[in-house]
Amino acid sequence: MSRRTVKPKPQAAEFTTVVVLRLYVAGGAPNSMQAIANLEAICAEYLKDGHKLEVVDVLENPRRAMAEGVLVTPSLSKLSPQPVAQVIGNLSDKRQVMLALGLKPHGG
Amino acid sequence: MAGDDALPEIRPLSGSVRLRRALQELPRDGAEQRAIEAGEIDAVIDYRGANVIMFPMARRALRAAASRASAARRKAALETPLANAVLAALPRDEYLHLLPALEFVTLEFGTVLHEAGAPIPYVYFPLDCVVCLLTTTDPERMVETGMVGYEGIVGVSLGLGVDVASVRAVVQTAGSAMRMSAARFGRDFRRSPCLQHELYRCASAKLAQARQTAACIASHHFEQRLACWLLMASDRSRSEDLFLTHEYLATILNVRRVSVTMACTSLRSRELITYVRGTIRILDRAGLEAVSCACYRSVGFPRAVA
Repeated sequence: MSRRTVKPKPQAAEFTTVVVLRLYVAGGAPNSMQAIANLEAICAEYLKDGHKLEVVDVLENPRRAMAEGVLVTPSLSKLSPQPVAQVIGNLSDKRQVMLALGLKPHGG
Repeated sequence: MAGDDALPEIRPLSGSVRLRRALQELPRDGAEQRAIEAGEIDAVIDYRGANVIMFPMARRALRAAASRASAARRKAALETPLANAVLAALPRDEYLHLLPALEFVTLEFGTVLHEAGAPIPYVYFPLDCVVCLLTTTDPERMVETGMVGYEGIVGVSLGLGVDVASVRAVVQTAGSAMRMSAARFGRDFRRSPCLQHELYRCASAKLAQARQTAACIASHHFEQRLACWLLMASDRSRSEDLFLTHEYLATILNVRRVSVTMACTSLRSRELITYVRGTIRILDRAGLEAVSCACYRSVGFPRAVA
């Protein structure tokens, strides 16, 4: 079997790697709009330029959502760095989003 | 607990059966279920039907947003100063009286507003589109005999008591317009002296333009006519860029395509215009005016006929 290696823990303070995010929304529906706003606020505070965010409107692109295994919207996927993570809902729970993104809150 | 009890409350709206079915496909006790219970979900992807099913709340919110957006667009179009000179010339209270009957429409290139010999269904007040009026000469052949932009009205003959069009009106530059049904226009027209005055002014301008066009075709070189035509089209669309092909120009001006290309090449060599496929740009307006025939100065410019 494969050998287990211990991955070095990413440091929250330095963002040498770019975080790639994809947010699936349903047009301008209330929770979707809220998810975009919440995510943008978190990105602006913690990720600055070290992220790439793609917003996918499933109303325009249902096939793509299906190809990528999305079940409900809004839902956020972190594609890179590994491991991939998913947050479902309007992202109002900041702690949960940051956990999924592998971030530590300021001073915490 | 399994089955319907585990699902969130859904009011029996149309589509709720499909929503229920899609919700049943979701994994039990997953993050999805928790988010649904917290009311944080807008839509479910229906893998069986290959589409997206909105939650009733979200659907209502989207509909409300769409109707707000269209109301805002309409309101923006109606704000003074009005883009259409005829509407702008009406006294405020007259205009407000017409307002409920006016409908904001977006017109694509090539849309036929009315056919020659057919009843006129609507009167159009162009805001930023340009409409050309084509007269049939032989079957299959149409020549432009008039051009209407923000300065005028399409469907003038309704006000003159004729409800059948004598020309075909085709959108030459895509844009927006306000329109009013012919029946409603007839009622308002009889009631409003200001509207009558404006329409007679337009009709007289159109007549003068048609006369001048006839004289122009009979007496001027094509290059002069083309320069005049380009200036008129540019004035009406309020843009130096005209999205037209040589072929289109040849058709509506009733000349061979080669003649259009030769005239355009000649104007380009003098740096008056430039063109790439599908777009002609006016570089030197004063120079083009000097080349064009006197017809442009007599009836060409929209405000000259005011």
